[in-house]
Amino acid sequence: MNGAAKSRAVLTALSLSFIGLGVAFYFDLWGHPAPPPGLALVDTNFISTATARQSAADLVRSGGDTSGLECYVCHERNKPLKLKLDGEGNVVVPKEHEDIVMAHGRHHRNNNCFNCHDETNLELLQTRDGRQLKLVDSPALCGSCHGPTYRDWEAGVHGRTSGYWNRELGPIDRKACASCHNPHSPPFPPRQPAPGPHLLHPTVHKERPV
Amino acid sequence: MADTDPSTTAAELSRRDFLRTSAVLASGMAALAASLAPLRDLKDYTSVERFLQKHYKEMTPAELQRVLDRVSREVEQQYHVRAKVRDYKPMDGVEFVYCLNLTRCIGCRKCVHACVAENNQSRNPEIQYIRVLKMPHGSLNLENGDHNYNPANVPEKGFFYMPVQCQQCKNPPCVKVCPVKATWQEPDGITVIDYDWCIGCRYCEAACPYFARRFNWTRPSVPAERLNPDMSYLGNRPRRQGVMEKCHFCVQRTRQGRYPACLEVCPAGARKFGNMLDPDSEVSYILRNKRVFIQLKEELGTSPRFFYYFDV
Repeated sequence: MNGAAKSRAVLTALSLSFIGLGVAFYFDLWGHPAPPPGLALVDTNFISTATARQSAADLVRSGGDTSGLECYVCHERNKPLKLKLDGEGNVVVPKEHEDIVMAHGRHHRNNNCFNCHDETNLELLQTRDGRQLKLVDSPALCGSCHGPTYRDWEAGVHGRTSGYWNRELGPIDRKACASCHNPHSPPFPPRQPAPGPHLLHPTVHKERPV
Repeated sequence: MADTDPSTTAAELSRRDFLRTSAVLASGMAALAASLAPLRDLKDYTSVERFLQKHYKEMTPAELQRVLDRVSREVEQQYHVRAKVRDYKPMDGVEFVYCLNLTRCIGCRKCVHACVAENNQSRNPEIQYIRVLKMPHGSLNLENGDHNYNPANVPEKGFFYMPVQCQQCKNPPCVKVCPVKATWQEPDGITVIDYDWCIGCRYCEAACPYFARRFNWTRPSVPAERLNPDMSYLGNRPRRQGVMEKCHFCVQRTRQGRYPACLEVCPAGARKFGNMLDPDSEVSYILRNKRVFIQLKEELGTSPRFFYYFDV
């Protein structure tokens, strides 16, 4: 009798401890380490491969609104255009073109529209050596002053590329000058940086003042 | 026993005793099963198939295909996304080289996040392969580098920016220290990791002088809607807890002939990539014509395939 009671007691005790363990795991009594604080997903703008701006050629290719490129809707053909200059000899940009900021070149020397635009046909560009170019062929115009950069660009080394490094497997997509640089104000504009790395222990590792 | 204690013989076991004993036994067994519940998570760490898997270099094409099928099954179970898991082999006559133009980099960190998106890195805790250092002009002392900068706009006056990622060394210290050969250098110059072979000892992290390797301290979390389904075995397939990872020049892209993700997203065109063995490639042009001034920490003799240069 004694042996049976003992074994029953052991069985009961084992069962109870297993039940206890089961309940504890089910309700997660020990708890897991607290999940790290939520981090917001990065804005998809920061992973977009879009260029900084759209050139005339991009606009034509994407089938966008090209009405801004049709000069003779407003201007009259074969009528010479007179530029207005202020006291210092800088071009006064008319209010119809007020989106244009004349900031090409640092010393206000490149201040004449017809340094690049063709005065006989406003829809064309002209290089200093007298060649006429369509708006979509602007890199050759840029290259007529910026020789070394143009040379690098032709080699695929200046400017943006995407697509295939291996030309046998697929095409390379080269971006032209005006896809990134505004021709009237070419320096690359400052932009907001994407969020930096989140510190694992923000209280221990403080941001270092620079 | 029947002579000394007749009450316990089977013939004399009362109905009440039988019921009581079986109830206790049944609940005991159920409780035992419940208390083993944590073992259900074991599949996050390994499975029989993964445990019995051979080393990547010893697998036959058929075995490799089975492994790729298993990986894509696991991805579908975990993320409910149909992924294309492939194994891309290095191409003949190709040695990859990266060139980064420090004159052009504006420090916008877009490369960091494009890399995270392309390579399915954990978002929380955060794993990023690229660190962008902000450095004061006139020095190349990495101790002056700050990667926590956060101004309203970059670039800031008086500073330049230096993104650092895996340098794909010709003489990689991380490969030398790996005790299980889970990381090695491929013929096209990319140092890869087999996440199924890695034991998580982090020797390679300690050996790397560039802080290029990252460890999955917890189970990585990638939102299913941001998962990149174009995966490669040695590249961007989802990792599990306890393994190392690092930049692999986007093997799933570059071995198909495409540019890496960080290059395509760079708004300033500061990043250039290509085949050093092709004399007409952009990187060959840069190495010939530009002021390529460093391989980072070149005095260590690691001979990186990552070159920093300035425009002349």
